[in-house]
Amino acid sequence: MHELSVAIRIVEIAEEELERHGGKRVVTTYLKVGPMSGVSKDALHFSYPVACEGTKLEGSLLSITEAAEGNELEVVALEMEWSME
Amino acid sequence: MVDGMIDALHAVRTTTRIAEVRQSVFKQNDLLARELRQQFLEAGVFVVGIVSSPGSGKTALLEKTLASMMSHCRVAALVGDLATENDAARLMSTGARVQQITTGTICHLDASMVTRALQDWDLRQVDILFIENVGNLVCPSSYDLGESLRAVALSVTEGEDKPLKYPTIFNTADIAVITKIDLAEAVGFDRDAVVRNIESVRPGMRIFDVSARTGAGMSQWIEYLRKASKS
Repeated sequence: MHELSVAIRIVEIAEEELERHGGKRVVTTYLKVGPMSGVSKDALHFSYPVACEGTKLEGSLLSITEAAEGNELEVVALEMEWSME
Repeated sequence: MVDGMIDALHAVRTTTRIAEVRQSVFKQNDLLARELRQQFLEAGVFVVGIVSSPGSGKTALLEKTLASMMSHCRVAALVGDLATENDAARLMSTGARVQQITTGTICHLDASMVTRALQDWDLRQVDILFIENVGNLVCPSSYDLGESLRAVALSVTEGEDKPLKYPTIFNTADIAVITKIDLAEAVGFDRDAVVRNIESVRPGMRIFDVSARTGAGMSQWIEYLRKASKS
């Protein structure tokens, strides 16, 4: 079960991107998972909220698309909340 | 009432947008692994990663391998475990340079752990470096360590369908080593079934049969490593 370390890495990537875009917080993380990535979708759903705790991703949703082939595990996009001020 | 107004104001003041990211989660590890691979190449060290489930005999295999290679080349090892320095202590008795990596709760080695473990090493003093991963057939498959060659070990006591159950790790490995071959008969090991199963997930994979205890098959395995390290 290395999904927690994977989830922590996803949160790191998301926080870097959030800062780069000047967003306030992440609402949804869109992930693409290949069947040979060695990562279980269920275990990732379980670990994700734990990794998000106390970060700007806390309370966000994780949306996983399963790729038909390949070993990729990619953060495809992030839905971010922006302040309009 | 006031709370409601604050919520309404908040709703007006924020908006959500989707930003494209397209970043691989393993990219950071892959970049570090690439740097390691470059360092290994420049130092002329051949790096063999060993992965398997716990108890398949990685350490025994490594102990015998180090002991028999010591006399003709400079061998060294990194060993990964969640806790204890037991494996390192055991391997050090061969006289080779050995360093333990304890991962705490992490179920695999990653490239940053290898980088840290090797920071005081002069890799030019090593011909072959073995990296024994944490005993696990799942997680290590996602983490490249910059190895030149990855071997997956599988003991005869484990069940012939392991390659079918854990295809990902067999896919990231270059060769398979069947260990504890001295016990094959006692446990009714069906070698043909294992070969068939390995073949179905990783066609053409080279397979070695060894027993660290009796020494059976060790010379072929060592000869292979010696040749591979020079090519």
